[in-house]
Amino acid sequence: MNRKISIRRYDPETDSEPRWDEYTVPSGDRTTVLEALAHIYENLDPTLAFGSGCRFGSCGLCAVELNGQPRMACSARLKDGMKIAPLAGMPVLRDLVIDRAAFFDGLRKLRIFISEQSQSGEPQILRVPKLHARLAACIECLACNSTCPSYDFAKDPLAGPYLLVKLAQLHLDPRDTTDRREQAQDLGLSQCAECRSCYCIRGLDIRRDVLGLLMGEES
Amino acid sequence: MRARSGRQRRYTARSSPHFHKKHDSLVEFRTYHGEAEVDAAAEYDLGVYGTGPMVQVRRSDVLVVGSGGAGVMAAVEAANAGASVTILSKEPLGYGDTRISLGVMSTSPDTSTGDSEEQFAEDMIRGGEGLNDPTLVRILVSEALEATATFETFGHVFDRDHDGRLKRHTVPPGGHRASRAIGSPAAGISMGHAMRSAAARADLDVLEETVCFELLVQDGEAVGATAVHMPSGEPIALLAKSTIIAAGGAGSLYYPHTDCMPSVTGDSYGLALGAGCELVDMEQVQYLPFGITHPPSLLGAPCGEPVVAGPFGKLLNNKGELVLENIMPMTRAQVARSIVEEIGRGGATEHGGLLLDLRPNLASPQGEFFVRTLKKAGAPILSVVRRAYGRKAADLEEPWDVLPSAHYNMGGIKTDEWCRSSVPALYACGQAQGGVMGGNRLGSTSLTEIFVFGKRAGRTAAREARSREYAEEKLARGPLEKLQALRGARGTHRPIHLKRALQRLMWERVGPLREAAGLEDALEEISSIEEQSRDLQISEIRRCNAEVADALELPHMLATARAIAISAIGRTESRGAHVRSDFPDRNDAGPVKNMVVRMRDGECSLRPVVTSG
Repeated sequence: MNRKISIRRYDPETDSEPRWDEYTVPSGDRTTVLEALAHIYENLDPTLAFGSGCRFGSCGLCAVELNGQPRMACSARLKDGMKIAPLAGMPVLRDLVIDRAAFFDGLRKLRIFISEQSQSGEPQILRVPKLHARLAACIECLACNSTCPSYDFAKDPLAGPYLLVKLAQLHLDPRDTTDRREQAQDLGLSQCAECRSCYCIRGLDIRRDVLGLLMGEES
Repeated sequence: MRARSGRQRRYTARSSPHFHKKHDSLVEFRTYHGEAEVDAAAEYDLGVYGTGPMVQVRRSDVLVVGSGGAGVMAAVEAANAGASVTILSKEPLGYGDTRISLGVMSTSPDTSTGDSEEQFAEDMIRGGEGLNDPTLVRILVSEALEATATFETFGHVFDRDHDGRLKRHTVPPGGHRASRAIGSPAAGISMGHAMRSAAARADLDVLEETVCFELLVQDGEAVGATAVHMPSGEPIALLAKSTIIAAGGAGSLYYPHTDCMPSVTGDSYGLALGAGCELVDMEQVQYLPFGITHPPSLLGAPCGEPVVAGPFGKLLNNKGELVLENIMPMTRAQVARSIVEEIGRGGATEHGGLLLDLRPNLASPQGEFFVRTLKKAGAPILSVVRRAYGRKAADLEEPWDVLPSAHYNMGGIKTDEWCRSSVPALYACGQAQGGVMGGNRLGSTSLTEIFVFGKRAGRTAAREARSREYAEEKLARGPLEKLQALRGARGTHRPIHLKRALQRLMWERVGPLREAAGLEDALEEISSIEEQSRDLQISEIRRCNAEVADALELPHMLATARAIAISAIGRTESRGAHVRSDFPDRNDAGPVKNMVVRMRDGECSLRPVVTSG
């Protein structure tokens, strides 16, 4: 059957504001949003820009907003009347593609890495809490930042839950020497105490396992 | 600031007055860092853009193309050795196949169980059916532990036992006689975090979302590359004293029959062939035996290698007849071959695959132990199965429909033990490199390969850069003119359509089951697609123009496809992952030969050489 969907289009170089374009896409019961986007690019509109990667939910590159909710395009089923937009609150390079460059810079600015280790040629004896492994599941899709009510990319692209997840993981790493709780406070952690708005596509409990940990709450 | 030879000018896009005056709308490159020199205004140097856009020229001792595990390791090692380093990443940094892998890596053999380096090397060469370069195999095995330790200094933590020591898996992947494999939390994604962190910690000039076009070659020596920064659409010239190719394999040549990232389009091999480099055993393409067949959105998704069958799993055809059992210790090549041969005999299910029935494992204690292990270590696989086939299948209570899926290229750039290619100043590491895995790669060894050889490539490239000079930027003029002409091209063919035609052709004719006539047809068809690729239609959009990216990838895909087809025609036997229905047996009468290809004046030539094993 055919399904009609709308996609938010925007080229900051040439458009004064975003617009909604409608497309009719042939689809079956299990057709995904990513398949629909690929169909449009390959058959209907060569100018459509969208993010895509592994196709199987592992890489985080195809996250978009579907009817106002952040979802992975590769995992979400296409529905009639669906409205597809880039993740809210993120700078748009074009159409559905967001600009991720600030986040690599953020790793440098916030020193999101353990300090240089001596190279002994042998792996260290290392004990990390189980939570450290759980936090590793973040696929960096940025849905958490886009659903954070106080996140403002223009003001500070780094002050969102995404990098707080990394600070929490480093806080649990015995090799890390930086005070990650203090960094989290500087990023505005105190605003998070009464808020549970940030959404994780992977199902991480950000409030408890990231914000709570960084605030020093017992879990 | 480090002392450096060569030119001392150091501009940035922001600081160059020319840049702003002439080119207000250019997206700023926000990720230039480190010690690379950036010339924003090279108009006068290139002399071809009097009225057009200016081109960034970057100089660095070492240029690394690719940012998976191999590229990041090479870049960090080169920077630690004192070199200025530029690293190109087609996606955000680190977003390659390493990051979507299972994160399971072979480390050193556990000698307390009687395993040894010799036994590990034997397994790799036996699994590779004698095509491996034994020197490279011995290096991988003996440096696996050091590479494990180095990668952990990036911030990674491999799975540990209660005492905080590395915890090897209890059940080894197919073809290993003992388990050397260690897992990672949340699969490869945790390795991606570590790679990005280590790259941020090191002093690197990082260019994300930048697609490499061609290598620059002067007097037969590699001296840099040209590329396009996709977010801005701007071409860039990169001059380097050493160039490392670490852009992974070519799984996307078989899309959608692949579990690789779509960005993995044979750039490593296309760039190398274009520079005159020799490749080895390109016909050896690994098809993971168990891939998902339906729904279409999940076609090609990985649902396992032989070990996933467990001690009692069986492969059945569409009539329920037994095709294969005792699968667990077999190599990926052996199992994939059984599947495609049975499909060739008409045994395929309605979805095009065979049935992998794991239920017999539920009926015995040994099988039950395996099932418990699978549910832990194989959780990412079972989650894919659940999405495709439902809960009962993921609980092993229903058989899975499976079809081989392109996963890894054993073939690649022929190198010596220090990752030097046949072209001076050009190095290769990781999947880009050939010879390590021979005709079949054992599970968990590619993550070892990327770190062991990434380290070697980075160190060697940094050291040897010291005795070299930068080439002149005017060398980039030709390729930059070609890049300038891509956007807004008003020809006939859309690059994506040519890509799709090539991918269909490769799966049908140069896939897991091959024969002479099909391969010859494929070569002709590749030439015809290449001819059409000279007549492209591309929109004028500057930012994130996917058609430009497709047009940049297409030549790499075509060159790689040709190298695979020519090598496959040359190997008139079935060996490793290369299965010929017209030559079903392995030729053990004569000496074992490697298929070496190179390209000259657009012509690909094949030279079989007796292996060094």
